[in-house]
Amino acid sequence: MATTTATVSISSSDLQPGNALSLNASSTLMQTGLTTGLELMEMGKGKLTEASAADALHEPLGTANTANWVYICNNATDDTHYMSIGIHEEIIGNLGAGDWMWMPWNMVADGEINIEAEPTGATIPYEYAIFKSTYTLPAKT
Amino acid sequence: MATTNATISVSSDIMSYPISINKTMTMKKFQSCHGLEETSGLRTKKFSVVTETVVVEQDEFTASKACKVYMRNTSSDKAHYFFVAKHATDAAADTDAGASGIIIGKLYGGDWMLIPYLADVNITVASSSTDPVVLEYMVFAE
Repeated sequence: MATTTATVSISSSDLQPGNALSLNASSTLMQTGLTTGLELMEMGKGKLTEASAADALHEPLGTANTANWVYICNNATDDTHYMSIGIHEEIIGNLGAGDWMWMPWNMVADGEINIEAEPTGATIPYEYAIFKSTYTLPAKT
Repeated sequence: MATTNATISVSSDIMSYPISINKTMTMKKFQSCHGLEETSGLRTKKFSVVTETVVVEQDEFTASKACKVYMRNTSSDKAHYFFVAKHATDAAADTDAGASGIIIGKLYGGDWMLIPYLADVNITVASSSTDPVVLEYMVFAE
């Protein structure tokens, strides 16, 4: 069984004056059955152009309502260049230059992960990793 | 200007070679080099019902900026999970929420997430169990 561990540390000495912030969490990613670690993943990097509009980073080709995780990092160095991250028609949020995100993904039908570069003229280098419970390869054409 | 750093580390032996992701970000305002300056503060809420509940209200924050939401299911029991949804009015459930929202995913016991948040609709959660489960969450905002 594969073991995948995700850890986060969030800290700030001045966000809450007089109350330093230090959050730490760690979890081992399990398949939906909760007894077996995730055993499917893909990762990669690319360049996203504003001109291409929204693109599907990953289609929901696995079983719906399962345990899946999405990591995306915007590697732009221009602070004005951001990625709009969505699931199908719903924009989750804006991922700024240098930002990363870690999100569970239900992988329901029509629940593809979308990414879009902004603003006009932006080209954004990005990295991603998707850890999945199940996945069916698309049929050949 | 405040400085808030978040570091993710992911390690895995799924592949035949080790996978290691390590990245640190400084949370900044939208299209800016200046750090986020506001927060909801760290909140904890105990759920003993499966009814959907709004935990992050969009009108507390400015929409279409650079908000971020951290959540962690503090349960030590993996079987106790929360649906997390971006919903205007729909119930969090095991289905696609339709036009007015979307199910994001499930946070099983011990799982955490850190996502950008557009603050255009509320974030809703629903526990899978009537056993008491505590959700820890915090919003970072401009």
